[in-house]
Amino acid sequence: MGLIAREIEAAGIPTVAISLAQELTASVGVPRAVFVKWPLGHPLGEANASAQQYTLIYDALHLLLTATEPGVIAEPGYRWRRQEYTEPEWSKLR
Amino acid sequence: MGNQRGPATFLQRLQNRFYAIPAVVQWWAGHFVRRARSSPDGPISFTRLTKPLAACSVALITTGGVHLTSQPPFDMHDPDGDASAREIPGDVALSELTITHDYYNHSSADRDLNVIFPLDHFRELAQRGVLGRVARRHFGLMGHIEGVHLRRLQEQTAPDIAAKLRADGVDFAFLTPA
Repeated sequence: MGLIAREIEAAGIPTVAISLAQELTASVGVPRAVFVKWPLGHPLGEANASAQQYTLIYDALHLLLTATEPGVIAEPGYRWRRQEYTEPEWSKLR
Repeated sequence: MGNQRGPATFLQRLQNRFYAIPAVVQWWAGHFVRRARSSPDGPISFTRLTKPLAACSVALITTGGVHLTSQPPFDMHDPDGDASAREIPGDVALSELTITHDYYNHSSADRDLNVIFPLDHFRELAQRGVLGRVARRHFGLMGHIEGVHLRRLQEQTAPDIAAKLRADGVDFAFLTPA
């Protein structure tokens, strides 16, 4: 995934990725990534957990707007099921 | 979703359960990095967004093995993986999609594809005016690519996707792993 992100970014299109494997993402060198220590197969969270899924999308869009250098890996530190997720305030993104 | 294939063998399923544990994933990632097989040379490109999000077209790209049920599945027999990509139309119903990927447990994504390919959510955000629109084409690939296929991914598949995104006027891409 990192290789694809780098290639797209090199073609002049910004990218933001979700990462479930921090060291790998750091090693490949992804332009922007949000890392969560969650089970493989769940980059946005659990099935039918839309608040959790939208939270990750919000964080990714936020990183897309705020990152100032390549290779940044944001780490919100969500604790999987022990975290309470709420619908993001999208108006803050604009 | 139709045409579902479960992991090939009992051992594969067992391994997928093991790799679903976050601490194991981090250990695996570190091990993979120390074998240093996939780090490209040179600086990482960086392109800034030039428009407000509400005017942007977004394309989704996943390496979680997502494709249309009508498209050929990814090759699960080649141990080095499959470096090809599948185009997914922006107006597709998620029920027309499936996952072919034996190397992770995708039972959650089988029940709710937004777990790995959140096209419904991005369409909703476009409707609410947070984003401009979803692109005409999105892309499904399979992760777990090694050997000769890594070169094909880097030299052929990824540049081809980038060219299609440019042709479609995509302003940014959102990527999800398996």
